[in-house]
Amino acid sequence: MEHTVNAAKCMKCGKITYPTHFYCPACGSTDFGAVAVEGEGTLLTFTRAYTLPLDYEDLYLTLGIVEMDQGIRATGQLDIDEPATGIRVLASVGPVRDVDGRTVYGLKFRAV
Amino acid sequence: MRDVAIIGASTTQFGRAQWSLLKLMAEAAHGAITNADLGGRKIDAVYVANMGSARNNRQAGIASALVDRMNLYPAAADTVENGPASGASAVKNGFLAVASGMCDLVLVAGGERMREVNNIEATEFVSFLSHRYAEYIYGITLPALAGMFARLWMNKYGVTSEHLAMVAIKNHSNAMLNPNAHIKMPITMEGILHSPDAEMNNPYIAEPLRFFDCCPVSDGAAAVLLAPAEMAGEFTKKPVIISGFGQATDTQAVHERPDPTVLTAVQIAARKAFDMAGLKPRDISLAELHDAFTILEIAQSEQVGFFPEGTGHIALEKGETQIAGKLPINTSGGLKAKGHPVGATGVSQIVELVFQLRGEAGKRQVKNPKHGFALNFGGFGNNVVATILTKGA
Amino acid sequence: MLDQLEAALRPPKLEMAPYPAKHILLANGETLVVRPASMDEADVLLEIIDPLKTLDRDFYDIVSARLYAELLGWKRHRVRNEYCLVGVINGELAGIVNGRMFDEHHGISYHTLALKRGLRIGAHLFASKMEHHIEYLGQDEVWIVAESPIGHRRWMIEYPLQQKFSIQHELGGAPSWVLTRETYFKARPRLVTGTRPVPEELLACSHPIRKPDLRTMLVQIGDTLEAKL
Repeated sequence: MEHTVNAAKCMKCGKITYPTHFYCPACGSTDFGAVAVEGEGTLLTFTRAYTLPLDYEDLYLTLGIVEMDQGIRATGQLDIDEPATGIRVLASVGPVRDVDGRTVYGLKFRAV
Repeated sequence: MRDVAIIGASTTQFGRAQWSLLKLMAEAAHGAITNADLGGRKIDAVYVANMGSARNNRQAGIASALVDRMNLYPAAADTVENGPASGASAVKNGFLAVASGMCDLVLVAGGERMREVNNIEATEFVSFLSHRYAEYIYGITLPALAGMFARLWMNKYGVTSEHLAMVAIKNHSNAMLNPNAHIKMPITMEGILHSPDAEMNNPYIAEPLRFFDCCPVSDGAAAVLLAPAEMAGEFTKKPVIISGFGQATDTQAVHERPDPTVLTAVQIAARKAFDMAGLKPRDISLAELHDAFTILEIAQSEQVGFFPEGTGHIALEKGETQIAGKLPINTSGGLKAKGHPVGATGVSQIVELVFQLRGEAGKRQVKNPKHGFALNFGGFGNNVVATILTKGA
Repeated sequence: MLDQLEAALRPPKLEMAPYPAKHILLANGETLVVRPASMDEADVLLEIIDPLKTLDRDFYDIVSARLYAELLGWKRHRVRNEYCLVGVINGELAGIVNGRMFDEHHGISYHTLALKRGLRIGAHLFASKMEHHIEYLGQDEVWIVAESPIGHRRWMIEYPLQQKFSIQHELGGAPSWVLTRETYFKARPRLVTGTRPVPEELLACSHPIRKPDLRTMLVQIGDTLEAKL
């Protein structure tokens, strides 16, 4: 099955928001269409987090915030050994966590 | 609106409790009640600040349970849950109840017993504060959000790991003077940063934040008793006036903020509190800030208006925020060393200000304080409450 | 003269290289000396551990009771190739680790007991124990189990250890986890610290071992509120 992570595009003013809000932050409209979070972006900040929830068995997780070329920002996991702020990254969707025994899919970024 | 006074204040010791959350909160509440001379007057309402009793302690309806445990019926009772800012939110609600004239005597108790579960579960439970679909699913924890924030802040303003360590060292040393603090252990720059052994003593939790940049997981409770200022003299010789409140919210997902280093809710909450009190940041004698992570003390000290942008770490470096400095910050030891039982924290910050304003802070007493400021930071800054207290006449 | 029956009861010994003492600066500015305990120190160690055998907190009871038995076995020559390292701060005992050589190539990690918490003394001592097995005893691998789930998780992930469930660990027959030479040397820069040699004066300070104040120790370990409620 194909997994996507969706942002919301306001049908009235065209602003894309991620995550979704009930009212459009730009114009107040409640009418949205789904638009996939995808493509490239620039790494704004990141961390290697070592104290992890029990369902992870890694020494650390690399997490970051990316400024997407689509004009939104997104938080996700980084598949990047030596991240640095300002590097270009590409988004994909993959397994990010097990919640109650089910695999959850979300954004993963790798360097381009 | 009537003016509102704090007529009683109390806190338990923070640390790891071997008894129930209710007993912990009852002890703090009892301390606040007996701190005033009520002459048989009954408490009209109880506000309880707590974040996780239903999950961590298998007790829901914690406000009703506390009234029952203490035998305070038929007082009105409400639980206030605003994450780590539950405490100040509950005090604010108690304030509103008294100020409106609805109630005269209001008890506000905040408590949390997080050590009933292990540290990993406690961190996981606190991470429920993050955005479920845009943050939580990635394994985001509060330390991770703080780490990403710290990297941005440090790059922008030239703050170093040494500055972060200075916050920790200062707050550990303040906590040594606070008998109720959780961590009573001095730490040294050499031991946590500079020696070759420091890497192991002080490992990364969420880069660039290390172990000693993060608050411990604590149990504890704190309580205050509120009354109309005009009646306060009947109950206590040393009333403390609640002169300002401010509260504001911000986006839940940190990445959505136009500039993630700008804590808009902190700025607005502080401004509102100063406006209500008719005071300026320079009028403040001491402050309790929400240093769940060392970087937050530096950031908040600027964004509430104490220091110009980008200079919080310089003030810290100069010793201005030490107990004997120009603006002592976190005389109690802060969340960093006094401990951070989430529901108790906001109330306990206010309790520290009360002790200081009454001149009862013992070895950590600030000289002749007049106005105290507290900042209680919920989520990762998405719901913030600022409080200003003034020494009563 | 050891009588013949006693001699027969004593397990045979392998030659064991000594662990060279080192010192570690702790977060609070104090210095932890890590050094081998000598057998004539067994009594004081037993005395210190004794009251912890009933402390139902983070598995202190089972760790202390087993460690007590192991040290007694060591003192009475009933354990093969056992060693014991102590962590000492200003002469006062801060922690104990022990283990033994199963054979020349394989080591068994027994226990890690920290008497002072919040300073990562357990982590430092566990690392010292791994250092001893691999670098000084020259072994290929160490078999490990943990009694506490959090301790287990920490070591498994931090080093990280590998499963070797074909081996029942001596402690209760739990499936063993293994630290190999290779994983050790990978983790070494991150986890193993300390300075050698220990200046003579500092080393002298770690003899004789002083007992920590019992009440302070219990409050420390329990991390409990001292106030009566």
